[in-house]
Amino acid sequence: MTTSLTLRPVSAQEHRDFIARRSSASFLQTPGWARVKAEWRAESIGWFRDGALVGAGLVLYRQLPKVRRYLAYLPEGPVIDWAGDDLEAWLAPMVAHLKAQGAFAVRMGPPVVTRRWSAEQVKAGIADESVRRLGDVPPLERSQDGARVIAQLHELGWQQQSAEGGFSAGQPQFNFQIPLVDADGLPRTEADVLAGMNQLWRRNIKKADKSGVEVALGERADLKAFHDLYVHTAERDHFTPRPLSYFETMYDALLAEDPDRIQVWLARHEGDLVAATIAIRVGTHAWYSYGASSTEKREVRGSNAVQWAMIRHALAAGAHVYDLRGITETLDAHDPHVGLIQFKVGTGGEAVEHAGEWDLPVNRAIYKAFQVYLARRG
Amino acid sequence: MSLVLTVDGARWRAHLLSTVTRHPGIVPVAKGNGYGLSLGRLARRAQWLAEHAEETGAPLDVVAVGTYDEVEEAASRYAGDLLVLTPWRPFGAALDLQDRTASRVVHTVSRPADLAALRERDPEARFVLEQLTSMRRHGMTRRDLEAAAETLATAQGGGARHRLRGVAMHLPLNTTSHLGEVTRLINDVVASGLPTRTVFVSHLTSDELDRLATTYPDFTVRPRVGTGLWLGDRGALSVTSTVLDVHEVERGDVFGYRGRSVPKHGHIVVVSGGTAHGIGLEAPTGDQSLRARAATLARGGMDAVGFVRSPFSIDGKQRLFAEPPHMQASMLFVPSGARVPDIGERVDVRVRFTATDFDRVVIS
Repeated sequence: MTTSLTLRPVSAQEHRDFIARRSSASFLQTPGWARVKAEWRAESIGWFRDGALVGAGLVLYRQLPKVRRYLAYLPEGPVIDWAGDDLEAWLAPMVAHLKAQGAFAVRMGPPVVTRRWSAEQVKAGIADESVRRLGDVPPLERSQDGARVIAQLHELGWQQQSAEGGFSAGQPQFNFQIPLVDADGLPRTEADVLAGMNQLWRRNIKKADKSGVEVALGERADLKAFHDLYVHTAERDHFTPRPLSYFETMYDALLAEDPDRIQVWLARHEGDLVAATIAIRVGTHAWYSYGASSTEKREVRGSNAVQWAMIRHALAAGAHVYDLRGITETLDAHDPHVGLIQFKVGTGGEAVEHAGEWDLPVNRAIYKAFQVYLARRG
Repeated sequence: MSLVLTVDGARWRAHLLSTVTRHPGIVPVAKGNGYGLSLGRLARRAQWLAEHAEETGAPLDVVAVGTYDEVEEAASRYAGDLLVLTPWRPFGAALDLQDRTASRVVHTVSRPADLAALRERDPEARFVLEQLTSMRRHGMTRRDLEAAAETLATAQGGGARHRLRGVAMHLPLNTTSHLGEVTRLINDVVASGLPTRTVFVSHLTSDELDRLATTYPDFTVRPRVGTGLWLGDRGALSVTSTVLDVHEVERGDVFGYRGRSVPKHGHIVVVSGGTAHGIGLEAPTGDQSLRARAATLARGGMDAVGFVRSPFSIDGKQRLFAEPPHMQASMLFVPSGARVPDIGERVDVRVRFTATDFDRVVIS
């Protein structure tokens, strides 16, 4: 019998050191992320067994209007051992602590995979009229560990937040990832990753190269150029852009933890910025986080070029996964979201389902009121 | 002179074929009194359905029986596998299977210890593992399933995983939707690591089965169907009894085993069908509505002061028992003013098929 786990707040330094010792963790669980979400009170918590730090979490406290009660939110976390069959031992001290901090509910996103689909399966699903959602396609794999986490969360009274249709308010449950290591865990070659992409992607990468698109790693001062293009993209694609200061804060906060944690990438053609992105890496996990592209000169394929540069950079850094982040569950060829999936699927790789976001109501009355408030807000 | 179940054969067979067509992978259930049709008849009919697989597009490879004692009766009439719904235990009728049928049986195992015991007795035994549902009758919890998965993974000689035919769940009736529970139960199967993607379920609507099929395209969902198959088209089935005798009575006349007296002028009508057939031995319906409970009370009240409503109806009107049913006949009271049936006339009877033994089943 192992000794029991205890939990207490830890310093940002302890938290950072713990994550540095791990293969990877979501960047939303790094202490630096707390500074990005400055409007929420944040706290680093640590699990201890026999005096050793064995788990960590970043908690964001989101206050309910007019009440000194909080939703304690651990996005894509916490960073604990999710593989066992004794989640209660991990979660009970966390919930007790958060309750003492004034939480009326706890929300978390267990970073565990529940299902995977190959790019070919997703592609076939889009082509098949009778298939509407990713779940309609038999998965390559259903994860036993993932299912065990879900079973335990139900048993412990957690409630899954549904993300029907498009993106839910929280983190996406479905993501698209390119594995950068093979089945034996050995690094793949650039040629192998390239060969995994569809013909269009390979052609576009070649085309960008031939047209003279140059991709370069930028620095903090280049965030302005990224942001200008991002605002332009937002207007074109009808989404609300975040201010430049958000990206500057994010850049500074993440860079302070690791010199290669966040990068800004710029693709230029004859001096014109045609695409720009932000990439993040924690340990062996690399993310494509934000992207922007010009409306002019689309034929030089700056977006494909910048993705390829990011993928190569991730490979060189020893990453195991290149994560293109969220996709919607729809595989309906008529759905406007499907274009984004098709773009990501062209890179090869696989669609991955995570356990989703789960709530544990601590104070049922306030939690109910909170849900009503969210529903009204739409 | 009998309590007779008459079946419109063409209509009944058409219903059977269409039900099987609608539910590929169906496992017909033939148990108990054979839903009034007799277990042997259902087993023969299942064989007939199996022989019509080309027509229905639904190969029928297994029939479910209720208990080990029912195995032989079905085995001699149906050639495929026989799934026994009552969980295997290391005692009782399960251990008395005849050698020639044992190899055709698929056992239901509901405790990890029973899995080991069954495999020890018969290493070739095939089985499904029953999951504990909200019914809490028999079944394994998620951790039990995980223990079973480990037993199978480490079993000597290999092949143990191929003897596992799937996971079975017995769901309760009368809930709004089973999908939430089934989703959790299937997730538990994945979590257990069991090497199967086949699930045997009961009491799901067609809509629920369709939704399960799209949500779990990598699973095979096999519906176990009894009532919906055999009794699904009630219009094809009619139950009749025969009028055996009629006596005119005046108020105050004494009649019957118990020497009761008649409350007013009318007729005592003697019909076939009594306690031996299950008449008057109503099984509790399980209906817990206030209305149903009030009706039960009212029936008790009538019993104390006078007559109780019978399941026999004459000219569409349900008649009262003049006294509790006898073993093979019942006495009804028909008040004056109503038409008195002739001796030999047939009257309709409303019965619970699962609790009725007919003298004859006539299939046209």
